[in-house]
Amino acid sequence: MGEYEIYPAYEDFFEYNGSTEIIRTRKLNRMGQSPKLLIIDDDEHILAKLCYFLSDKNYDVTSASDGLEGMKLFENDQQGFDLVITDIVMPKISGMGLISIIKKRFPDTPVIAITGWGEYPGAFATESQADKVLSKPFELSELEKAINELIFSKRPNVQD
Amino acid sequence: MATPLIGISESIERIRELILHVADTRLNILITGETGVGKEVVAQNLYQESQRKDKPFIKVNCAALPDGLLESELFGFERGAFTGADRNKRGKFELAHQGVIFLDEIGDMSPSLQSKLLRVLQSGEFSPLGSEREVRSDAWVIAATNQDLEKNVKERLFREDLYYRLSTIKIYIPALRNRPEDIPPLIDYYIEEYSSEFDRKKIPTPDPDTMEKLKAYSWPGNVRELQNILCRCRVISNWEEIIRDLYPEGRSAAVSRSGEQVFDRDSIFDVFLDFKSEYSQDNASFSLKKITKEAADRVEKEVISSVLDITDWNLTKASKILKISCNTIRYKISDLDIKKQRKYRSLKGARLLMSF
Repeated sequence: MGEYEIYPAYEDFFEYNGSTEIIRTRKLNRMGQSPKLLIIDDDEHILAKLCYFLSDKNYDVTSASDGLEGMKLFENDQQGFDLVITDIVMPKISGMGLISIIKKRFPDTPVIAITGWGEYPGAFATESQADKVLSKPFELSELEKAINELIFSKRPNVQD
Repeated sequence: MATPLIGISESIERIRELILHVADTRLNILITGETGVGKEVVAQNLYQESQRKDKPFIKVNCAALPDGLLESELFGFERGAFTGADRNKRGKFELAHQGVIFLDEIGDMSPSLQSKLLRVLQSGEFSPLGSEREVRSDAWVIAATNQDLEKNVKERLFREDLYYRLSTIKIYIPALRNRPEDIPPLIDYYIEEYSSEFDRKKIPTPDPDTMEKLKAYSWPGNVRELQNILCRCRVISNWEEIIRDLYPEGRSAAVSRSGEQVFDRDSIFDVFLDFKSEYSQDNASFSLKKITKEAADRVEKEVISSVLDITDWNLTKASKILKISCNTIRYKISDLDIKKQRKYRSLKGARLLMSF
């Protein structure tokens, strides 16, 4: 991992192979590892699809099927997640609740809210300090773009 | 100190876990579940686990008061706001400042009050009745209902935006019949609780067989019903009697030899006022006269059938016992569709026969 360098902006995510040659392969977090994502959605189908897509893109993905389970994973993770993706309408702890709790305790952790039906979940997602709100259905590429923006745009350029 | 949340079921474990995770978040909470499952107990536990436990816990039952009165209870009023308002009165939201306001039966709140509540949840501000001043309240809102609010939202009986605001955290308490493993610990807890309250008389612990019957019972009134049963047991100290009352077999209609139900005092409603039967389909056919005729027919049929069996269908003997003519008994056999049963003689019947 040590030979990789990281670029700050999502569109230029390349990894250095240690020389001058730039290889478009993978993006790493500040620990030099694949970015850790926590995805929470009570819709198994959507959860599976998101996990499959993002794992395939080389993210380190952890998933939960309700807000409480997500909350526990978040609190118990030693290393910390680089980003959280959560649905809004869920049993037990809603996405709104989860985002409020995360933002209160870990304000630097970016959160993407994905919302389903109705006008209110979207409005609440915005109100609850989500860094980005995506309404279902959305393009997976749009999600990936948002993830990269949020994880890497906030980071200092390690080359500087 | 709040009543602890008793139970060993997975669902109760998850609720305990959820309480610990959210008690200090101040996020609005909606507690749902059938009547008697212990929604207020969960609210009290949330309060006790929070940093607000030394502040007020104010309970308001939204179904108990008419609309206008509930509004003045929640938000207070200024002197002169309405006839009889001869002083200022602080509302429950103001009293619950920095503490908890527990809105029980929230599903019964009127649409106009729902709007006002929504405003409080959004801004934390409200105006008492007849007042122009804005009051700020940092009350933590915990609401509860036994209604299906999602259904009410679809039917436009409950505001959708208010529903989402209230249900930031949702705690659903399953009915007791769906978590029978919680019944023994609940019984142990209340035996201890009630016995110490009246320490001279300890409630007997149910034996394994009784416990199985208690676990299999449907508990329509949930934990509250179980509490009532234990209170009763404290008085009568007899589980057998309680089990007899809990199980419909113990009080349902006796089944006659002809396979039909005959009534006893407790089963009249089951037999003759069965609202699943034709009476409920057509109210016009429901009458006391009709029920009386039906009851009389059933009794006649049962008695004649018994006497005929006792006398081996000797119509002369039977008519003598029944004090009716042979022709009448023939008519009754045909009219009431009485059929020969397998050989049956009760002790009572034998005595009756011997007397003739």
